[in-house]
Amino acid sequence: MANIMWLQGGACSGNTMSFLNAEEPSACDLVTDFGMNVLWHPSLGMELGDNLQQMLKDCVSGAIKLDIFVFEGSVVNAPNGTGEWNRFAGRPMKDWVRELSDAADFVVAIGDCATWGGIPATAPNPSESQGLQFLKRDHGGFLGKDFKSKAGLPVINIPGCPAHPDWVTQILVGIATGRAGDLALDEFQRPKTFFQSFTQTGCTRNMHFAYKVSATEFGQRKGCLFYDLGCRGPMTHSPCNRILWNRVSSKTRAGMPCLGCTEPEFPFFDLAPGTVFKTQTVMGVPKDLPAGVDKKGYIKLTGAAKAAMPAWAEQDIFVV
Amino acid sequence: MVQTLEDLDYLENCRMSDNEPITPEQASEDETLRLTLRDYLQSGLKTEVEPRAYTSEQVNEIINRLQSLDETDYRNKLIIAGFTLTPYKTDDDDDVEQACETCMYYLVHRRFCELPELMLPVDDEWSCRLWRI
Repeated sequence: MANIMWLQGGACSGNTMSFLNAEEPSACDLVTDFGMNVLWHPSLGMELGDNLQQMLKDCVSGAIKLDIFVFEGSVVNAPNGTGEWNRFAGRPMKDWVRELSDAADFVVAIGDCATWGGIPATAPNPSESQGLQFLKRDHGGFLGKDFKSKAGLPVINIPGCPAHPDWVTQILVGIATGRAGDLALDEFQRPKTFFQSFTQTGCTRNMHFAYKVSATEFGQRKGCLFYDLGCRGPMTHSPCNRILWNRVSSKTRAGMPCLGCTEPEFPFFDLAPGTVFKTQTVMGVPKDLPAGVDKKGYIKLTGAAKAAMPAWAEQDIFVV
Repeated sequence: MVQTLEDLDYLENCRMSDNEPITPEQASEDETLRLTLRDYLQSGLKTEVEPRAYTSEQVNEIINRLQSLDETDYRNKLIIAGFTLTPYKTDDDDDVEQACETCMYYLVHRRFCELPELMLPVDDEWSCRLWRI
């Protein structure tokens, strides 16, 4: 039996909504098949008021063993570092976060806000938001870069806006069934099993990417969304086209550019006007090139690819 | 051969659907218009080759102007987009030759610019200031 406590900070509840839609395994499976005991969750918790406060205190003291502490949303420090803008169970949420993180065997950050600060931490960041162990790309965050939970792991980051439900439940199962030691984390403490490949991996538009055929409008079935519509699939680490959303599709498959929401800089360019859904260029060359590709190589590749482009690449090959 | 842009009303529907390969008739219409556009450029039509659209703001400004045009106002499309019959080459970037054939909006086989605000038959060696690779 693994005890889980799930709290929300500066959050929209999107990751909770996502989690409740999990399928493989489902949120119910966690309890019935994998021996998890959800002590409390914002949408599922039964305790209220004093009883909840006592439960939290018991987790901090060790009277209740806290195996996994899950945090969704940013850590709100405003105003002036007090955290008073986000109070929970009688005190600033950030105080609970600190103490529960110290008490838990494992700490898991779910979604961009908990991992890197996300949209709340976008400049000018009025809520003084931080992620648990990162603020955007800067290592440290609320808990500090040297933080390790009792089991000896740093915060396990499962980013996304929201995170895919099955990323969440599968990692929780891995931890709860004693296989946390098998988790390899990348430099941003994301499980490599999900975040080593790119969003582009498995994208149905890869042929159009290869032959440099651009989609020019949303929802077009032909063409790659990278060249004009700001898709970040080639430089974003996620399995969105390997583990499909609702088991059927993904943003790029549906004609919607990837926003890069599993990367620390999300939302990119601080949402400046003209930067969303538009590939940013410098002298006509994309500012952000596919991971590992340099400008000269990109230009040469493009020339060769367009020269080799077969006629079918310019047409919609997905016949209804 | 079509001599004036006013004669080109019948080409209003030349924009093909994404779903269909180009038909011989469309190819013929493309070629007719392409020759007309070439005539305009060869006869000295002054187009706004510079400043190039190197920033998002510059791109947006040009796109906004193009959006205000009638779909068949080909002459002003050429002018505003800064078309030339030869690739544009910059002094400070010797690797980049800005030609339609390497542009993301260019359909190689149809020889057609698919930027929604342009939708023009063009050619490999042509260039415009909205070029992006």
